[in-house]
Amino acid sequence: MIDTLLAIVRSGTPLIYVTLAAVLAQRAGIWHLGLEGLMIAGACAAVIGAKQTGSAAGGILFAIVVCTAGSALLWFTIEKLRANPIIAGLGLTGLGLGGTDLAVQAIYGSEAAIASPVGLPQIAAAGGESISTLVAAMPLVVAATWFLVRRTRFGLHLTASGEHPRAARAVGIRPGRVRLIALVLGGVLCALGGTELALGSLQIFSVDMTAGRGFMAFAAGIFGAGNPLGATAAALFFAAVDYLGIRAQLVLGENAPRQLILMLPYLATVAGVWLSTWLQRGRSGGPVSAELRDY
Amino acid sequence: VNDRVVAVARAAAFVIAALLGCAVIVQIAGYSGIAMLGGIADGTFLAPNALAHTVRWCVPLFLTATGVVVAFRFGYFNIGAQGQLYLGAIGAAFIADRCAGLPPVLLVPLAIAAGIAGGALWALWPGWLRVASGTDEVITTLMGNFIAGLVLVYVTTGPLKDPSGTGQLAAGREIEAAYRLSVSSGVSPVLIALAVAGGAVVWWFLDRTAFGVLGTLNGRNPVMVAWQGASAARIGIAAFAISGGMAGLAGALEVLGPDGRLVSGFAPTIGFTAVLIALVGGLSIAGTAVAALFFGGLMASSLYLPVVAGLPAAAIDLINAAIALLVTARSWPRWLRLHRAAE
Repeated sequence: MIDTLLAIVRSGTPLIYVTLAAVLAQRAGIWHLGLEGLMIAGACAAVIGAKQTGSAAGGILFAIVVCTAGSALLWFTIEKLRANPIIAGLGLTGLGLGGTDLAVQAIYGSEAAIASPVGLPQIAAAGGESISTLVAAMPLVVAATWFLVRRTRFGLHLTASGEHPRAARAVGIRPGRVRLIALVLGGVLCALGGTELALGSLQIFSVDMTAGRGFMAFAAGIFGAGNPLGATAAALFFAAVDYLGIRAQLVLGENAPRQLILMLPYLATVAGVWLSTWLQRGRSGGPVSAELRDY
Repeated sequence: VNDRVVAVARAAAFVIAALLGCAVIVQIAGYSGIAMLGGIADGTFLAPNALAHTVRWCVPLFLTATGVVVAFRFGYFNIGAQGQLYLGAIGAAFIADRCAGLPPVLLVPLAIAAGIAGGALWALWPGWLRVASGTDEVITTLMGNFIAGLVLVYVTTGPLKDPSGTGQLAAGREIEAAYRLSVSSGVSPVLIALAVAGGAVVWWFLDRTAFGVLGTLNGRNPVMVAWQGASAARIGIAAFAISGGMAGLAGALEVLGPDGRLVSGFAPTIGFTAVLIALVGGLSIAGTAVAALFFGGLMASSLYLPVVAGLPAAAIDLINAAIALLVTARSWPRWLRLHRAAE
């Protein structure tokens, strides 16, 4: 039992970090579909950084630099060029997926996967298992994010900027700047998620390795209605579905309906978004104002 | 200045900016940016047969993009064209496989109809979720793409698998030459005529029927349309069904035309590119046709780049992504504006 839970938490940790980034963006009133691109960029940068510097810390640092730069670029196009957030976010995702593909081929020749000589430091956990430092730090980061959005002045400004930018401006908040901070913090979280994905246990980066996790994180943010704890629970649910699918495949062997099992996380995401809409029915106002949807 | 001229100039400026920006990135990555631009020009129209390849990719891109235009104009963010295209291809391949033996005049229209139906059905479930419960269509159509990709893998390794095929390639049976709309990897007058007809029907529907105009109004101001007594559910379902149907038609033509068989994971970037084409084309059918030619050229040249410029095909993805980042921009910061009134 304990090793099952540990396995779910371990495989869900990259998703949870990115989900927290989704929550910050959602609270700031931005539908962040660039998470997929930031996550893959973070994973790729972590492996390149670790390979070049020979240390996991170098990998994390490089991932943070790349992801915050990507976040700042998205902020510039949405806030300064007034681009549609959904299309611009998809563009950022395309930049991440195409850019990492190009980077891997440019630096290491035509390989689809690159391995890192170092991984994240491991910590002993219950049941003789070991977990990476980023998995161990994950509950603290979740708690810190919850504290930031629910118990600090900045969190209040963030929510105000997302829900009613004009009212926020009227009381002296600068929504544009608040959004920049939220997106850059989200970039750091995506970097951590990408790093854990690439260096947590496998120590490898392969093209397209995120496989839609960034979009799932976005859905988990919707599922959690902008609450970091609820969104984390949703991300853990997606991770559990994923894990059970892999277990089923191991148990059933050749007879397993492979494609159906691979579909499960995506189906769970659809079900989750539908459920959250159904639960929030009748409550006034969604997390996103209609004005952000038009163009 | 005429509004339309400004819109065209703006779209062209974004595309050129994205091309130049990517040339710089490619240069930094250690390749030759000039060679990339040259390779794109080669692959689009300069090299022998390049123009045929451009038109070959233009057909599915244009048809899919007209569907995106319908959804976006009606106010629904259907970004699941890729999945709808796959289901359309599966529908057409299923008819071609199971009804083989029918005369071509019967089978081909039937397969095309099955393709349209497959795409429309795959768009209907996100549409129904949106209309019935308000479930956001952005995430459901996006997830639908991943699910449809797996359905395609299942179909090409299971029910429709080519029994003579080796284990390597997951693909359906080759479609008999009599049912094909073009020879392999080419275009044909039939395909071009079908694309033009499809575009004309969508144009007529959007701009010349009352329902199309009502839907466009709904995209601009849903509250007003609701107050006029129109059924938002009907408009929503129609938007998804037509949009998915056009993507399905494109998928069916891929199977019956250039591909000649159902292949797992074929043309994986058409859906996303179609969204860009619709936006670059300013959500008009004429603009979409012009944009589809350009993006068709980009897609054709992605096959040339590795050969001509020694560049990975990912460079084309990068160009598309950069265009996506910029295409919906509505204002420039003051320091980038030529003069104040440019806004």
